[in-house]
Amino acid sequence: MRLWKRLRSLVGRSAQENELNDELRFHLEMKIDQNIAAGMSPDEARYAARRAFGNAGLKREEARTMWGWNWLEHLGQDLRYGLRAMRQSPGFTAVAVLSLALGIGANTAIFSLVDAVLLKTLPVQDPQRLVALSWASKGWPEGVLNGLSGSMYPDGAGRNVSPSFSYPLYEQLRSQNHVFSNVLAMSGNSSELNVGYRGEPGRANGQLVSGTFFDTLGVLPALGRSLSPDDDRADSSPAAVISYGYWDRRFGRDPAIVGKTITLNSVPFTVIGVCPQEFFGVQPGKAVEVWVPLHQQPRVEPRWSPRADPGNAASTARSSLFEARKRWWVVMVARLRPGVSEQQARAEAEVILQQSIASDVKAGTKPETLPHIQVTAGSKGLDDLRRQFSKPLAILMAVVGLVLLIACANVANLLLARGTSRQKEMAVRLAIGARRSRLIRQLLTETVLLAALGGLVGLVLAFWSTDLLVAFMSSGSDPVHLTVTPDPWVLGFTAAVSILTGILFGLSPALRSTRLDLTPALKESSREPAMSSGRRARRLGIGRTLVVAQVSLSLLLLVGAGLFVRTLTNLEGVNAGFNERNLLLFGINPTQDGYKGQRLAEFYQELLRRVAAQPGTRSVSMSGATLIGGGFSSMSTFVQGYPPSQGDKDGGVSAYNNDVGPNFFETLGIPLVLGRTINDRDTSAAPKVVVVNQEFARQFLGGSPVGRRLGFDGKKSSGDYEIVGVVAGAKYDDLRRDVPPTVYMASLQDPDGLGTMHFEVRTAGDPNQMIPAIRRVAQDMDSNLALFDVRSQVGQIGETLFQERLFARLTGFFGVLALLLGCIGVYGVMAFAVTRRTREIGIRMALGASRREILDMVLRETLLLVAIGIALGVLAALEASRLIASLLFGLKPNDPLTIAGAALLMVAAAVFAGYVPARRASRVDPMVALRYE
Amino acid sequence: MAKDELQGALDLLILKTLARGSVHGYAIAQRIQQVSDDVLRVEEGSLYPALHRMEQADWISAEWRVTGTGRRAKYYKLTAAGRKQLVHEEEAWSRVAGAVAKVLRFA
Repeated sequence: MRLWKRLRSLVGRSAQENELNDELRFHLEMKIDQNIAAGMSPDEARYAARRAFGNAGLKREEARTMWGWNWLEHLGQDLRYGLRAMRQSPGFTAVAVLSLALGIGANTAIFSLVDAVLLKTLPVQDPQRLVALSWASKGWPEGVLNGLSGSMYPDGAGRNVSPSFSYPLYEQLRSQNHVFSNVLAMSGNSSELNVGYRGEPGRANGQLVSGTFFDTLGVLPALGRSLSPDDDRADSSPAAVISYGYWDRRFGRDPAIVGKTITLNSVPFTVIGVCPQEFFGVQPGKAVEVWVPLHQQPRVEPRWSPRADPGNAASTARSSLFEARKRWWVVMVARLRPGVSEQQARAEAEVILQQSIASDVKAGTKPETLPHIQVTAGSKGLDDLRRQFSKPLAILMAVVGLVLLIACANVANLLLARGTSRQKEMAVRLAIGARRSRLIRQLLTETVLLAALGGLVGLVLAFWSTDLLVAFMSSGSDPVHLTVTPDPWVLGFTAAVSILTGILFGLSPALRSTRLDLTPALKESSREPAMSSGRRARRLGIGRTLVVAQVSLSLLLLVGAGLFVRTLTNLEGVNAGFNERNLLLFGINPTQDGYKGQRLAEFYQELLRRVAAQPGTRSVSMSGATLIGGGFSSMSTFVQGYPPSQGDKDGGVSAYNNDVGPNFFETLGIPLVLGRTINDRDTSAAPKVVVVNQEFARQFLGGSPVGRRLGFDGKKSSGDYEIVGVVAGAKYDDLRRDVPPTVYMASLQDPDGLGTMHFEVRTAGDPNQMIPAIRRVAQDMDSNLALFDVRSQVGQIGETLFQERLFARLTGFFGVLALLLGCIGVYGVMAFAVTRRTREIGIRMALGASRREILDMVLRETLLLVAIGIALGVLAALEASRLIASLLFGLKPNDPLTIAGAALLMVAAAVFAGYVPARRASRVDPMVALRYE
Repeated sequence: MAKDELQGALDLLILKTLARGSVHGYAIAQRIQQVSDDVLRVEEGSLYPALHRMEQADWISAEWRVTGTGRRAKYYKLTAAGRKQLVHEEEAWSRVAGAVAKVLRFA
């Protein structure tokens, strides 16, 4: 009943309004009648009645309050009024909305990445019940683990963590556990596959998965069927499921694709299904395009990590990955049974793991060096991307948060200045009975409206820039596929940020401009503030505090940007030890088409010859790993006569190694120091030779290195290879790392160890222009083989620096933005101060101050503010930059040059911003100024 | 207590006045003033908000009628809920008044 009444009073608003007016008018008329009856004249009577009645508008307002919809009505009024106020000062509105849009847009853009990387759950059934399994141990788990594919990383507590397990453990876990309703396994590394369809080659990102993969996740196919355990046996007919995106790109959404045959690394597979559009796998950022049953591994990836266990290469190749207890290569995700907790699941999985490894554990092994199960929430998928980007994203989030604070300070300053010109309006409204809380609410509505507009524009800016940001996050060799969409989280975040900023920058000006001494405010002109001098000082004080804060925050961001930019230039200036200009790289894997042994070696020799014959080729070579590509190979190396004292248990030293073809050092431009390089006479028929770098010679050889011997298969092998040359140091996998001791083997001397090779072509001109010709050469040799990782060496180095470039560009951009906003703040507050002091300046000039002195006076004031801001900013920067120390290269977080440079830039910009109002002050005509009020 | 009780007092005066029959707002103010020998004056600023609040609470209902002088006026009368409220408020008031009287006597 009451609710109904309330609703009616909302709907029948104007009728009720009229009734209220009628009722009050009746009251007034009765009073007038009474006054006339008491002997007054009609005019007198009306006047007396009105005076007794008081403020009719206020009375109406109070009666209306009782109807209960006032807040809504007021909101409507406030919004209308706010829009009107905005239209009246378009310049102010534009500057305010633009600064807020930049601040809020930057926050939304970074947050949408945070959302996509850190917050989104997998698009699968009931993701909350999924858990990811991993293990942790102190050091390398001796005895139980021989080879590991996938990732391994240190946790904070000095342990190694890896998600990779052996296939037998997966089988045991699946059959013996009582805590999981299903368990899936997949290869720890996804791999690029050659995908042939109707005779045309192409490449796709493939992943080997168990037959339980789709059932465990609860993903139903969009077309056809998904993989079942029956598809994942050694004798199953080859079947594959493709992603929706790949179906679209490669097959034009042909619904008849189900049942068709494609070739994966030259093995025919039947496409049995297409995944739903939103499903990308379980690793955010990595979009899998083809899912293949695990048991197809011997056919699809016959030479997987052949060198992971070199001492045992032959035996590993023979024993299947599916039986080897010591080869850990599958990643597991499981679905908890209803009612089972993560702790219960961990306890049972731990028992099964310890049983599985028990027979391989040597007596006396400390328990903490054995692997122990960890169970983590799997609702967001595997955490590779989160691990990689959570710190960079946190830093960027902090940066854009500071930008938003600076923008808020700016708008607050603008509002304070505008508040002065609206003082008379406020005074009038207070005088005719508006409550202060009501005015504050209205002013806050206006600022929130400003912020909301800023938020809307910011949202548009954000969605323009997110694709760019995702592209920034990708390096060519490791692309990040993220769908960043405006989901409710992002929209909610933007709305919350907008409203909060509106209140943050609006509250203080609103409180200030409604705290008035009414009489002088009404009497005086709008230019002269109606405040006691103490209040005036305080108001200027708040504006100045805001400017100091802006300057210090801007400086903080500038220092951060400077550190990242200098890190990037330091890295780009690193001497890699070889000539990276005019060098084209490409990879090829002929083993996918059945080449091996001597035939494979001949294939590579022929390809080298044909590429060398191309016009535009200066020279060509090949190597197992490209340089500065992130990949490397490292083996225990046994040097004859080292170490001199037999302290170590087996005498092996850890060194990097690379299989290189003839002319490798000549092609890359790595100088020879001693002896000879590897040439085309170093084949399987010749004595085995290696070349080492100076770092290796310095650490392990001493004396004359040429002629010394080393080996890779235990102490007894140390005579296998003869060192024939020493070359200068060249960086291997990473520009940041020092040149490692490196051994270069002649790849053609070991045809059975040959696998994928990467070619390096020294070109006469732009390497990218050689690409079509090189592709033709490879096609002519074998049309089934696709080239991969085709790029220039400069491009490849650029890709390894992508995170530094990301930081340098983004923080540089935000630093400049902060500088700009800070300058607007300085300009605003100084211009405001000059306007208010026009009369004072006039008096000073009338008393004989020169223009120069006035200019100096205003500039001095600006500089004082900026100096305080810079001092605070430097202190903050010294503290904050320690957080990013691990991301820097070649300089310390408190790098004095960067800090001084940032401070200098800040001073220059602020002086420029302060010069404009200072000049205006010095141009004041004393006569005009004295008559100013 | 003060504010609630004073508002309670205004409600009580209005309800009591309306207990004698339906009247318009001006008459309510007049009657309270007359009956209290000009001691209690009800401000318009308090009267109409109170009437509208009590109408929302369903203690009183209103209808438009024409007065003896030919003017349209809004007449209020008690509802059943209003009568109950009147009894309740009267009891509350006597209790408070009694308590105040006791304090004045003994304190």
